[in-house]
Amino acid sequence: MTGGVNDVYLVGCSRTAFGRFDGEDQDLAEQAVRGALADCGLSWGDVEFAAGGTNGETKPDNLVARMGLTGIPFVTVKNGCATGAVALGTARNGLIAEQREIACVVGYDNHARGAFSASPARYGIGDWYGATGMMVTTSYFALKIQRYLHEHDIDPRILGHVSAKAFDYAASHPLAWRRTPVTVDEVLDSDMVNDPLTRLMFCSPDAGGVALILARGPRAFDLCDKPIRLAAVELRGRRPGSFEVFSPWLSPGVRTSPSVDAAAAAFRAAGVRPQDVQIAQVQDTESGAEIMHLGETGLCAPGDQGAGYLTGDYLAGGRLPVNTDGGCIANGEPVGASGLRQVHEVMTQLQGRALGQQVPGHLRIGFTHVYGAPGISACTVLVAEGASS
Amino acid sequence: MGLSVVDPSLFSSLDPVVLQGSACAACAAHVFPAQGTCPMCAGIEVAPVPLPTAGVVWSWTTQRLAPKPPFRTDEFAPFSVGYIDLGPVIVEGWLLGKTDWMIGESVRLALAKAWTDDGETVFTYGFEVAE
Repeated sequence: MTGGVNDVYLVGCSRTAFGRFDGEDQDLAEQAVRGALADCGLSWGDVEFAAGGTNGETKPDNLVARMGLTGIPFVTVKNGCATGAVALGTARNGLIAEQREIACVVGYDNHARGAFSASPARYGIGDWYGATGMMVTTSYFALKIQRYLHEHDIDPRILGHVSAKAFDYAASHPLAWRRTPVTVDEVLDSDMVNDPLTRLMFCSPDAGGVALILARGPRAFDLCDKPIRLAAVELRGRRPGSFEVFSPWLSPGVRTSPSVDAAAAAFRAAGVRPQDVQIAQVQDTESGAEIMHLGETGLCAPGDQGAGYLTGDYLAGGRLPVNTDGGCIANGEPVGASGLRQVHEVMTQLQGRALGQQVPGHLRIGFTHVYGAPGISACTVLVAEGASS
Repeated sequence: MGLSVVDPSLFSSLDPVVLQGSACAACAAHVFPAQGTCPMCAGIEVAPVPLPTAGVVWSWTTQRLAPKPPFRTDEFAPFSVGYIDLGPVIVEGWLLGKTDWMIGESVRLALAKAWTDDGETVFTYGFEVAE
């Protein structure tokens, strides 16, 4: 059965090129929203509910000043790397709770060059932590993957395979940022930033915007030849035992992760199993994150990731193509847009109209995962329905 | 005490050097630095407690590039940071004396120069290879 009154579908999408951008932040948002509306033949006046997010200083809800003062509710969210997915969930809930039909979701950012500089006070930590050089995100990622590789006996060279795959996918994606193929050895031999992570293993903050149009119920099938059902979008925070950025201490014993919890909740809500997933996006802030998140989401048994990279499991012809647009590593991470970029890529892959390398075969079930500070994760399950299901 | 340190609240003693955490009366969870509530069980009955001074390297990395401010240093040189398993809690801190480490190495607490302030050396804590 399709088009139930509480089924919410993705019917339109658009993304800007990611990379450096000279204009105003909201130029990116406007470009994405206009593109997504055009994608499904709607205009701003048709939108009944909106949700948007950015990590920057502009106010997403003020986009109405550009798009049109139609009086609709526009919810602003700010949840770090999970911003896009939280905006998506907010719009889905808004459509169902208020029985509206059309919603717009937008995420954008235009970050300054270089790694984020964090303030200890914002995280409730003393000034000593930043002053002694421990408030460093690259250091956190390195400490986390160093432990993970040790516990799961994974060869650190696999880190090179992750980035090489990302740049390989991005080489054929017209809107990715870093599109020059790089070999595994070039990744491993680039400057060491934080052992075991080298320069070519990290994504960088950059600029980009993404927008999605959602439709509830049968209307979705009037707007789109192949609507993609948003079967689940679940957000979870950290529990005792998680290993998060900017932590002067960790608890010994059982490790937990908001990614494990969010993924399990999403699969439960959608009624599918991790092994049913045919195309996925997982947060790859650096190459170690992709390895960990494949394990934490249940897409790969922890410890088996290395074999997966060596045998091409995550390439377009493999068992489970992952981050097929190049992910954060090749697109950079405009924080507000990044989670929606993932959804955009999986949606277009499921529809058979990927902008870059189209995964062959009949795809029905997709999955996305974001993870970020201060210990939050959001996952979605996307299902292609309609004529072919 | 005499020694200048990056934050006196991190220490229960400077000679010998001992870190100060807090322990929850309800669930016994230890955290560092000391705080007034327990994030593990949401308890509010917590008290300061001196932490063990010896442990093993739980994870490590070496900071090869100078961090941005608010990082302070007189002159940057690559330095190692690790998580040290002290038993009741795993504490993050500098790893002293070398830049290549192994998980499982035995280490002990020590003071290390952080920077100089008006000619006076300011110390932080770190962990060095245990003999």
